[in-house]
Amino acid sequence: MKDEKDKVLSQIRLSLETAHLPAARATIPPHNVAEAGDRAEMIASFRRELERIGGLSYLARNDEEAIEIVLNLLGEAGGKDLMMWDEFEIPVLGLGDALRVKGYARLEVDVPRDAEGRRTKLAELGRAAAGITAALAGLADTGTLALVTSAKRSRLASLLPPMHIAILPTLRLFDSMAAFFAAYPEVTKDASNLVFVTGPSRTADIELTLQRGVHGPKFLQVVLLDY
Amino acid sequence: MSEPNVTFHERVDDALRDQILHTALNRATGRFQSLRLDALSTLRDADAVRDRARIIRAHTLSRLDAYLEEFAAKVESAGGHVYFASDAQAMNDTVREIAKVHNVKTVVKGKSMISEETELNHALEAAGMRVVETDLGEFIVQLAGETPSHIIAPAIHKTKEQIGQLLHEKIDIPYTDDPAKMTAAARTKLRDEFLNADMGISGVNFGVAATGTICLVENEGNGRLTTTAPRVHVALMGIERIVPTLDDLSVMLQVLARSATGQKITVYTNLITGARRNGEVDGPDELYIVLLDNGRSKILGTEVAEILYCIRCGACLNACPVYREIGGHAYGSVYTGPVGAVLTPALGGIAEWSDLPQASSLCGACREVCPVRIDIPRMLLVERDQAKRAGKMPWWLSFGLGVYSFTVTRPALYRIATTVSRWGSRAVAAPTQGWIKTLPPPLNGWTRSRDFPAFAKTSFSRQFQKGHPNSIVEERK
Repeated sequence: MKDEKDKVLSQIRLSLETAHLPAARATIPPHNVAEAGDRAEMIASFRRELERIGGLSYLARNDEEAIEIVLNLLGEAGGKDLMMWDEFEIPVLGLGDALRVKGYARLEVDVPRDAEGRRTKLAELGRAAAGITAALAGLADTGTLALVTSAKRSRLASLLPPMHIAILPTLRLFDSMAAFFAAYPEVTKDASNLVFVTGPSRTADIELTLQRGVHGPKFLQVVLLDY
Repeated sequence: MSEPNVTFHERVDDALRDQILHTALNRATGRFQSLRLDALSTLRDADAVRDRARIIRAHTLSRLDAYLEEFAAKVESAGGHVYFASDAQAMNDTVREIAKVHNVKTVVKGKSMISEETELNHALEAAGMRVVETDLGEFIVQLAGETPSHIIAPAIHKTKEQIGQLLHEKIDIPYTDDPAKMTAAARTKLRDEFLNADMGISGVNFGVAATGTICLVENEGNGRLTTTAPRVHVALMGIERIVPTLDDLSVMLQVLARSATGQKITVYTNLITGARRNGEVDGPDELYIVLLDNGRSKILGTEVAEILYCIRCGACLNACPVYREIGGHAYGSVYTGPVGAVLTPALGGIAEWSDLPQASSLCGACREVCPVRIDIPRMLLVERDQAKRAGKMPWWLSFGLGVYSFTVTRPALYRIATTVSRWGSRAVAAPTQGWIKTLPPPLNGWTRSRDFPAFAKTSFSRQFQKGHPNSIVEERK
């Protein structure tokens, strides 16, 4: 294995002596990332872009409104089993209690490391009607959510259920991915998985006809917290 | 890389006769092109972004050894494993070994062109594993026992009726030509596979050297499931797919989806740094990244090194008048279209693939649409030259060019030749208003669908000496 690495790298070094690489420079020039835009504009842009690609967004002005929006969406989703990130990860006070009162059950996501336990757990999670997450950030220019994994934030909550409900405080909106990376340069150090989600799962592999909800959620609902 | 078993010209003839293929190609490539234009128009200063993307690719390749070492070290410090593979065999052996260690029986696969390049599925199946493609287009192509015909839309060559029949026969659902029902059936079938698979194999769009992160873009969610549900994740990556930093990645992502499908960004952009960490509740227990060379490091030292800038968006396929007529399968190679016409001979040898660089009218549309402005026509010419040096030029072309160069380098002979052809062609064309309907072999191919004009009464150099600017028009009458 070590031999393979040496073989490849030494051939690269040999080739670089004669390589013809148009436009190559010793360094990449500095990147001028746009300053943060006006927040109202970013909100409008985020919602417009998200809707263009089949996602839906709602604006909540306080926790009560946010809870009401989530409960309505869960009513549409049907079913009482939820995959939800740890309550303390979701910045809506009282959401957990409200869900318990309404009889929703939060499926525990802690996938066992043995093959059989893993299968059983994944099959159980497959029942969930909806997943509830909170985005680390939103990208205004594309209507994108940035979701980061941790001990209390599963990857699967935004992936397995047919409906994904994401909470996004408007204070966490950035103009672009470059602006987000500039603000969170260490984001990939803290977690094994960062996923940018832009709209519901889709395909156009059959005669370029757009289909939503192929392997991921068919419905993406974003609750913007504007407070 | 598969060897062509019928000649390129036979495959082209077959493709040109296939009406269904034609309809499918026209619809798809036309649509991709207009979507791409719309998407680029939404990018502030698209030209500057493309220039920057090109500089990033060029710079990275000029220090590829250092960036690869940095990348490998960062992946390992994040808990992932990195293997290098100098050729297809080495990569397949490595993946098979990993599978054996983890007692793998079923493998789910996300889209990976590299696995097509090394024919990994065959290698795993031969070792007794079941391999399931999960991208809808790849799944369809796998059920049909075919290969992808387009980088972005693998099943572009099939109609919905053909796909409906295929699903009916292979996964036992009632026949339907409704894409929604077909997609739903595939979802159900594949969801089962995801939840039960032991290993997920994915491709990689970019590897970020500074952080050891791999980036995978996709729309369906099959990439996320492949890299999340099974115990083991194996990511296959070409050694050239490195970018230095996350910021550079954001630049590449601005042009990739726009050029590929006309989206501003794909639905899912996965950034994976190592395997599941202590405390994390899901994700694979192990991450292996296999870096494939298979000829790339040699290409780096040649005149066609620029083809390694490619980010596999497929825009050049959609823009190419040749691809639009013959489709992907006619190329007989894994990589098709203009990029494939350059890359395939570079990877697999000009002797076996000498026809591919000829499959272009050098119109330049590919260079025009390339998000990183790769000069594909220049490299097609380089390879045509290589083909000639390898003795692979068609006999009639090298004979014709030989006669031509012998003649034009001898002024007296040249004058005689032009006089003969001038009067000869005028005599032949006299009964048909100055147009020749059929040329003698081997030039008769040209006149099969076109007429050839007779030469003017007075040659250009003669008119030029006489100094009559309008004489060309007058003389023709």
